[in-house]
Amino acid sequence: MSATSPASVESLDPPVAAGRRFVSELVRNPKGLTGFVLIFGVVFIAIFAPMLAGHDPTRQVLEARFLPPVFAEDGTWGHILGGDNLGRDILARVLYGSRTSILVALLVVFNAMVVGSILGAIAGYFGGLLDAVIMRIADFQLSFPFILVAILMLAIVGPGFWTMVFALSVALWVRFARLVRGETLKIRELEYIQAAKSIGVGHVAIIFSHVIPNVLPTIIVIATFDVAEVVIAEAAISFLGLGTQPPTPSWGMMISEGRNYLFENYWMALGPGIAIMTTSIAINLFGDFLRDTYDPRQERL
Amino acid sequence: MFGYLVRRVLSALLVIVCVVFVVSAISKLVPGDIVDMMEAGNPGMTEQDKAILREQLGVNKPVFETFTSYLGGIFRGDLGNSTRLRSSAAVLIAERVPATLELALTALFLALIVALPLGILCALKQGTAIDYFGTIVSTFGVAVPNFLIGIILILVFSVELQWLPSTGYKGSVVVAAWEALKAWDGSVLWDRMRYILMPAVSLAFFAIALNTRLIRSTMLEVIRQDYLQFARAKGVPERTVYLKHALRNALIPTVTIVGLQLGTLLGGTFIIENVFAWPGIGRLAVQSIFWRDYPLIQASILVAACVFVLINLAVDLIYRLIDPRIRYVRH
Repeated sequence: MSATSPASVESLDPPVAAGRRFVSELVRNPKGLTGFVLIFGVVFIAIFAPMLAGHDPTRQVLEARFLPPVFAEDGTWGHILGGDNLGRDILARVLYGSRTSILVALLVVFNAMVVGSILGAIAGYFGGLLDAVIMRIADFQLSFPFILVAILMLAIVGPGFWTMVFALSVALWVRFARLVRGETLKIRELEYIQAAKSIGVGHVAIIFSHVIPNVLPTIIVIATFDVAEVVIAEAAISFLGLGTQPPTPSWGMMISEGRNYLFENYWMALGPGIAIMTTSIAINLFGDFLRDTYDPRQERL
Repeated sequence: MFGYLVRRVLSALLVIVCVVFVVSAISKLVPGDIVDMMEAGNPGMTEQDKAILREQLGVNKPVFETFTSYLGGIFRGDLGNSTRLRSSAAVLIAERVPATLELALTALFLALIVALPLGILCALKQGTAIDYFGTIVSTFGVAVPNFLIGIILILVFSVELQWLPSTGYKGSVVVAAWEALKAWDGSVLWDRMRYILMPAVSLAFFAIALNTRLIRSTMLEVIRQDYLQFARAKGVPERTVYLKHALRNALIPTVTIVGLQLGTLLGGTFIIENVFAWPGIGRLAVQSIFWRDYPLIQASILVAACVFVLINLAVDLIYRLIDPRIRYVRH
């Protein structure tokens, strides 16, 4: 990386150049930066939850039942956000709840992205019957709202944490598949692909070295918004009681528990509510920034 | 037009047949023995009940036979019997469809009636405090989940202000509106409306946010067009330029989106109905999953999906009628 080289930026390693561009764009975009910092905070909390919480999130203490938060009358600094109906520390549960949200979001988006991209690449690359079958299933699924598909899957496999992960993954693969398929179709007939084929480059190698890099920016943007969508969907499904099961802390479930005590103990829903709101707004702000920077063609609807 | 109509109806029918197939196959897809699973949610089941259930759900029949017998049942208006509520699933659902539709349609109405002036105002006052307010509302609305909006509304309007009831349903608002009109007494209407206001607003919030964004950006685009300058140049008053020339063109993408939103709103009722104990299909479906009441699960998912497909079909055909410039390309 000599500074004397005339095209010094181009001659940098691609990842380093991309990283520099990312940082310089991010610091110039206040919304994106806010989102990024907040996401960083949530991930930090999720990793260091045991050190930050100060209480076991599942331990039930009789004296802490319906204990008000520190800013209300009779609140104590020992339980900053108060105690819930079973005398568990709400702050500890909110902090640990970030683990559930992030775990589900990462698992689901990863599954959907990998499976969707592979199926999309297969459909676009090989065409024919395979393409028809995969894309008809995709169309069929797309004609229903995402949450209905997820609830149908949950109805079949039954409520639970892992079935929720499965149901959400199944509900989300379609967008990735369509995107990758479209790009594969476009690229399949190009001369350099034909050339690559003629010198014996395999199908898989072509897909990985020519198709995926072309769609990567769009995939990342979609994946980012999907993370926000999954965080909300996890909360919604756990709110309904069909997802994360007690005693594992989940923000959605905490709100649903708080729902029964809104009139007397509003703070039970307060902590998890603020947590979901902050996380979701953060990812959305960051996603907007990514889209505007890397994928300006995409319109969000 | 006619060819398109036939194609569109046929493809909707095909989707419905696929839905029936998936729904009828639920008894096969459930891991483990479905009837043993159901016993867990419905204690007090006898061996005889189990045998009847196995027959009814087609547990021991091949997939295709299950499908044909389920399809046959649909034509007779028979969607099986709820094991928990011990009555016809079709009747249970028919009682709840109107409540769900009313909630979704009210939300759709709100999504337009609030977003339209807000979006236009933001575009016309671009860069002012009003515009920032609109941007903040739409950023929040897109990001905050609907059930959380519902909880916040309950906290504000039921717990703090005590203006509105936190849950419940007292019957159709449309029917009440008619009664109120006949008796010339608004209190009847208000008594019902109090119950639908919070569910509808929390359901509509997302759509309001999205529409405000969309209307603002299309308005901004249209305002810059040359023909508006021309209209001004020939002396058309500002008001007319905006409200007649600009708005009309900005409305087209909005109308398209709003039709599609009805589907999203219907999906949202699955969650909102459970927040506000609204007696619709969404609440019934979630309850039946808890009860492991598979005939009721099958029926509620089937009906929800069909309502969905039919609404999409209707929206498509209506567009075609109102705007002949929209051409549908065959794939």
